[in-house]
Amino acid sequence: MKQKFKRSFDELRNIVAMTETIFREAGLQAELRHVVDLATEELFVNMVTYNTESDDDILIEMRSHEHGVEVSLTDYNVNRFDPTVAGQVDVDAPLDERAPGGLGLYLVLKMVDSIHYEYRNRQSKITFIVDRKV
Amino acid sequence: MFEIELGDEGIVAVDGRLDAAQAVKAQGFLDQVEGQCVLDLTKLEYISSAGLGVLLKTHKRLMGSGNGIKLINVNHHIHDIFRYSGFDKLFEIVPASDK
Repeated sequence: MKQKFKRSFDELRNIVAMTETIFREAGLQAELRHVVDLATEELFVNMVTYNTESDDDILIEMRSHEHGVEVSLTDYNVNRFDPTVAGQVDVDAPLDERAPGGLGLYLVLKMVDSIHYEYRNRQSKITFIVDRKV
Repeated sequence: MFEIELGDEGIVAVDGRLDAAQAVKAQGFLDQVEGQCVLDLTKLEYISSAGLGVLLKTHKRLMGSGNGIKLINVNHHIHDIFRYSGFDKLFEIVPASDK
């Protein structure tokens, strides 16, 4: 399943609808939904927020496999930014030292089972996998 | 869908998905809150880092006057996010089953 989305947070509801569809059609474990929703939103929002030099839509592809679901997001006409090497967040820091920045990618890296980044011909593609818990 | 409103006994009720598209609405509401704030998350289905940022910003502001946010009726999915984020060390959290 693949679909393009405009560079707007308003598209999040449509992305959720896409995820609902693949979960329903593939009979995926509902327990995986929160992680898939979170990782997809954080990566999409990151592209919309920081890849401001592009007006192109963002392509999202989702496919179920034997052990869970694989999701790819491709952004076109952008500079290289590898979210898999995003900075660490000190989640043990006291309140005074905490700021929300960077928390999204931190959560993605913490919660997905694997993640892979490709950059070629000014296309930035991030793929993550969330597996069934057995 | 996302709703936030003042409910019974001054408890703020949150309903739906608190994502990046709804964070401005949530922040606008919570910016008006003063004193101790109790957030009932019984109907909160989902939260992303944008929503966490709203909670963190509001908690820090209220802590400045000796108050803060207490999160009640937190389901285990949301609690996992709080735990991974370290929010379980910053907020008073009451899980859904411990009401």
